[in-house]
Amino acid sequence: MLPEEAAAYVNKCFNGEPASCTYACPFNMDIRSFMEKAARGRWLAAYRELRNAVIFPAIVSALCDQPCRSYCQRADVGDEALAVRDLEEAVIRLTKSRKPENYFIPAKSGRVAVVGAGPAALSCALLLAQKKFAVTIFEKEAVWGGSLRRHPKFPEFDEEFAIQLSDVDIEFRYNNEIKELEALSSYDAVYVATGKNGDSFGLLPDWNAELYSTSVSGVFLGGELVGKTLIEAIAQGGVASKIIEGYFLSGSIKKQPEPDRSKRLRFLRRKDLEKKPLVLKSGDVYSEEEARAEASRCLLCDCDYCEAGCEMLNYYKKKPKKIGLEVHTDSMAASTVSPKTITRETYSCNICGYCKSVCPEGVDIGALLQFSRADRFNQNKNIPAYHDYWLRELDFYSGEGFFAAPPRGKRTCTHAFFPGCRLGAGEPGYVVKSYDYLAEKFDAGLILGCCGAPAYWAGDNNRLDSNISLLRQSWEKLGRPVMVLACAYCKYIFSLFMPEIPCVSIYEIMGEDGSVRPVSYFDEAAVFDPCAARNDIKMQAGVRRIAGRAGVKIEELEQPNRCCGFGGHISLANPDLYDIITANRAEASDKPYIVYCANCRDVFFQKNKSSAHILALIFGIEQRATTLQEKKANSLEVKRIMMKKLSGEDFTPQKPPWDELSLSMPRLLREELDRQLIIEDDLKEAIWMAEASGDKFINDAEGVCQCSMVKPALTYWVQYKKNGPLLYEVRNAYCHRIKFIKED
Amino acid sequence: MNSNDNNWKCAKCDMPLVKKKTLFTYLGHNITYEVSRCPKCGSVFIPKELAEGKMAEVEAQLEDK
Repeated sequence: MLPEEAAAYVNKCFNGEPASCTYACPFNMDIRSFMEKAARGRWLAAYRELRNAVIFPAIVSALCDQPCRSYCQRADVGDEALAVRDLEEAVIRLTKSRKPENYFIPAKSGRVAVVGAGPAALSCALLLAQKKFAVTIFEKEAVWGGSLRRHPKFPEFDEEFAIQLSDVDIEFRYNNEIKELEALSSYDAVYVATGKNGDSFGLLPDWNAELYSTSVSGVFLGGELVGKTLIEAIAQGGVASKIIEGYFLSGSIKKQPEPDRSKRLRFLRRKDLEKKPLVLKSGDVYSEEEARAEASRCLLCDCDYCEAGCEMLNYYKKKPKKIGLEVHTDSMAASTVSPKTITRETYSCNICGYCKSVCPEGVDIGALLQFSRADRFNQNKNIPAYHDYWLRELDFYSGEGFFAAPPRGKRTCTHAFFPGCRLGAGEPGYVVKSYDYLAEKFDAGLILGCCGAPAYWAGDNNRLDSNISLLRQSWEKLGRPVMVLACAYCKYIFSLFMPEIPCVSIYEIMGEDGSVRPVSYFDEAAVFDPCAARNDIKMQAGVRRIAGRAGVKIEELEQPNRCCGFGGHISLANPDLYDIITANRAEASDKPYIVYCANCRDVFFQKNKSSAHILALIFGIEQRATTLQEKKANSLEVKRIMMKKLSGEDFTPQKPPWDELSLSMPRLLREELDRQLIIEDDLKEAIWMAEASGDKFINDAEGVCQCSMVKPALTYWVQYKKNGPLLYEVRNAYCHRIKFIKED
Repeated sequence: MNSNDNNWKCAKCDMPLVKKKTLFTYLGHNITYEVSRCPKCGSVFIPKELAEGKMAEVEAQLEDK
């Protein structure tokens, strides 16, 4: 993986970057930091923030037309923008000592001549002198100030120049007009800032606006001389000092980095934010208390929307750009020695698109982590145990559980029902009755299978591709019908990988069909929209229409389309986080839920949250919780019924030899095994193999046996007691991922 | 259910289990650990407490590496 491949997913994230106001400020001042300090009454710290950015605070504050206020996001919520200038003025007044900071830096050898003593000249001279360059100012008048001397507030500005220049060594040569540049030939660099219509020594036509340089080596121009405003001239003096410093250090003239000013237009989406009116001044200047109150109105704009809402990002507390970096470094790490930093996080993401939906820039961390999963899978750096069960389940649905057929007596169809793998697994009646409904309405065929989401989430692109080929070929064979889907995630996967296939949600069809008369189920309920239906307005509306016809008073969740927790198959990679997410979803409303995703329904069974699938309202079939083993059996039953219905053929599932075993076990153990994704078929296989080979352990005192079965991702253990021919009581079962090597 | 290793024997060899250093492997890392085994055929016995305790801990550490 190339670093830019990972970075491309997150490079629009602006967490930690300056706020919009800073991008509008000619001095790029960190206004957010200034406000934060002022709000806490840290006047000196706030003052230094101001001074370091604007050089002459009292002057800039008085003259600046505050472009920052046009981009203040307080205004975005209907309040007045922060009173930046008034706060600056207050901070200047409230700072006890404005004595400039002096750093012990050794004197530098570069000699600089500055022509002029106006604001541009003085700002450049001051900053270079601070860095201990030898600076000499040549001014034709007898005093400093340049054009500012005509300003009514000049006495205050004069004092400000005196304060800021009080602690640096600058040689002032007044009454000293430079007429020819040759007079300054003994200096290493010259900054000409002679003011509006001032003398440029004929260099203005060749002036380089980015480098401030001229056709004469070491001679730079700036300030009002080159057409800048006063404020721009002061800011430019600061930039010029850096260019000249760089010129001394490296001998070359380099453009100083300029912030991307278009970022001032970057606004965060503000919702339900408390309004705070502008704090008014009781006197000429804000009092201490007033200044703190006004600065407290600052929203300290920084984006954390994804982390604030996503449990996974909140759990790990890593910022998107760091995630991008770590995805790359993990990808490059050698498998055995280099530590990886983001493995578990990669497999803890629901890949639900929530982060993208709340991000002002649409950054999709789920897509990055899915990309990383695929990269890890390709490099054999995945953790097989996390997704082993789900991939085996996918193989079942694209193998023995798969079935595709046109309607009875036909070769093709206009529509084909694709219920997805888990609808019938939870309740066969939902698939059978939905098909019957569609078959009455349309010339409807059927495809039973899985969309491939388990492979997508595991990063197993080969498996995903072969499943897509299977679906596509079946669709072609059926005469390219409109696919009628019952699962939002299937629809999402179809749109991603089979965009040419027209799809419609069965809930949309049923919602528009007034003849569908759902039964009354709940008086009141919240609709729990699945994450994959986030942008599927028609599907969402269909479900609401059906529920409305059933007389349900619908409550909308505060945060719709949050993943129930099932997405991304995170339960084995991060069981704690899975519990947090599923509990949060179950508690999002005290009303029962109407769901339309079979996986959401399963999660709420686990959490004992009162819920019903929308099809329960339509067909009046109450669903009960099912184990993984029952889901498999239900899927085969759906296939048996539908094969008979559409093809007239009898379906006999393949039965492995261990299928004839009958197991009993305590309910709690069964639930625990389901949680660990260990199904009864695995236990039967292990027992059958052990009994056939005699490869097992015996505990005579307890009268029980124990055996193991080594599979590629897991080693299974079963402790059991034989209660009769083919009859076994499972006392315990567990698994581990580490493999033992049976050598001596 | 008591899974004290002392109560178990290898069904095939009819031998009580003994502690023996055994090589384990996971995600390309090798670990040696002493576990109960049949002294004759070498069959490895992993009790639940080991699988869900120490082994799960090591698995988690290696997965995070």
